[in-house]
Amino acid sequence: MTRFGWILVALAAVVAIAAPFFLKPFGIFLISTWVVLTIAAIGLNLTLGYAGQISLAQGAFVGIGAYTVALLTPLGAPFPIAFVAAGLLCFAIGWVLGYPALRVQHHYLAFVTLAFTTLVFLVLRNEEWLTNGIYGITGTPRPDLLGWKTGGARDFYFLCLGVLVVLSLATWWMLRSPWGRAFVALRENPIRALSLGLDTRRYTLMAFAIGSSLGGFSGALYAPLVQFIEPNSFSLGLSFNLLLMVIVGGSGNFFGPFVGALIAVLLPEWLRITQGYYLIVYAAAVMVMMAFCPAGVLGLAERAIRLVWRGDKAAGASP
Amino acid sequence: MTVVLEVSNMRKTFGGIVAVDNVSFDVRAGEILGIIGPNGSGKSTLFNCVLGQLQPSAGDVRIDGNLTTGMRPCDLNRLGVSRTFQLLQVFPQLSVRDNLILAGQEHQGSMASRLFGRADAGLSDDAARMIEFFRLSHLAGEQAGSLSYGQQKLLDAAMAFMAGPRLVLLDEPAGGVNLTMLGQLRERLHAYHAERSATFVVIEHQMEFVMALCTRVLVLAEGRIIAEGKPQDIRRDPIVIEAYLGH
Repeated sequence: MTRFGWILVALAAVVAIAAPFFLKPFGIFLISTWVVLTIAAIGLNLTLGYAGQISLAQGAFVGIGAYTVALLTPLGAPFPIAFVAAGLLCFAIGWVLGYPALRVQHHYLAFVTLAFTTLVFLVLRNEEWLTNGIYGITGTPRPDLLGWKTGGARDFYFLCLGVLVVLSLATWWMLRSPWGRAFVALRENPIRALSLGLDTRRYTLMAFAIGSSLGGFSGALYAPLVQFIEPNSFSLGLSFNLLLMVIVGGSGNFFGPFVGALIAVLLPEWLRITQGYYLIVYAAAVMVMMAFCPAGVLGLAERAIRLVWRGDKAAGASP
Repeated sequence: MTVVLEVSNMRKTFGGIVAVDNVSFDVRAGEILGIIGPNGSGKSTLFNCVLGQLQPSAGDVRIDGNLTTGMRPCDLNRLGVSRTFQLLQVFPQLSVRDNLILAGQEHQGSMASRLFGRADAGLSDDAARMIEFFRLSHLAGEQAGSLSYGQQKLLDAAMAFMAGPRLVLLDEPAGGVNLTMLGQLRERLHAYHAERSATFVVIEHQMEFVMALCTRVLVLAEGRIIAEGKPQDIRRDPIVIEAYLGH
């Protein structure tokens, strides 16, 4: 990454740390939502953006993670245990969901994962003995960690931010390791990758499993954040929204999900003045974006920077 | 001489079409075997069946005497069998260096060591040497997709050689490569062959290239082997001429 890039990241970090001290509770709730959804979007970016496996199931994994924590906490499980359990469960289910990806690709795979999301939604809604059906589960408590009570909006935000930092660093490490190279190879040319000794089956399943576990971690924070979960929160709408975050931010770009989630969380709020029309404006903006900049907001920014850079050079070269 | 690759009674059908029809041949250690034949004669299908990309309808493949029919391409590759494809197959968004590291990284360590170990899998020096060997040093940091066709063809070959394979199957290495680059490619293939005493099987249309590179030639037509021999003899064989030129 360029020095300019690092400066931007450092600035963003400062803003992320300072923001809750200037925001009202609802503002803090919004940026907490951003942090939580960013974690899920990072997972989807891994599966879709890097490894090239399209998935419409990420919302379902957020749901599985949220219900895992909401169900385990009343049984007396400490939050860290429930949190890890959510991630592990989603890792296992994501691994199994990866098997269809070994046989079908592209839009067929989209359909398989779409069916999975519907399945999860139906289980959450119909298996009332477990999930309380459409009434949902209320009051998942925010944890006390080693004496740190995260019940307040600001404290819980910092907990989420801490988790985001740890998980993004882990993802960063993985993507710059040989695994990251293998994921990109899987996306660009699986047949050639296979002929170079890459066990594409194992990497595909890993991409699915790890991406899904990030969805689970996101859900594990979502339940104590909103303190009321119900099946509708995790229907196809959320999966599409997460897909949008990845693509609008810049699919296959490490910082894409951060930007994409920010837009997806804040834009509806800013568009509130348009009242009932916000979805129309939002949808139109996404269409324009996809038509003119399929590489997402960050792709656009990179292009702009390169243009300015080249302009500078050309100006410097001419007498 | 030791037989490295042994193909026996290989047959592959697609619906009613017989693409490879009862083909048997041996490849001996250190030789450069050329496989020529008109378009659609089954050469690439034969390669794909030998290397596990396709499941043969019948027949066996043995490498160093061990049965490998139906083995996955990645497992075969890790046994030291490598290949290039007819159409260009580099990873356009990765740098030249990363293309080569990728080609070597799965040949050492475990999944865990590849995750927790060094980002370059300890292969930067090997990659640099291979890049140097194929005269691509000035392009090491470039994205592979930005290279010219001929340069990508060299990279493609370099990737096949990165893990130091003993047996390399090259599918039309000269296809679409200009004359200057062709000379360079042939010279590099020769150099690698001599240096590592590797064994090559080469599918090629470009006759001059085959004559200059190969020590023995098989001729395939309509899925069958119709002739076999030294390059200079094959060139004069009336059966071969007829197969190529038709009636």
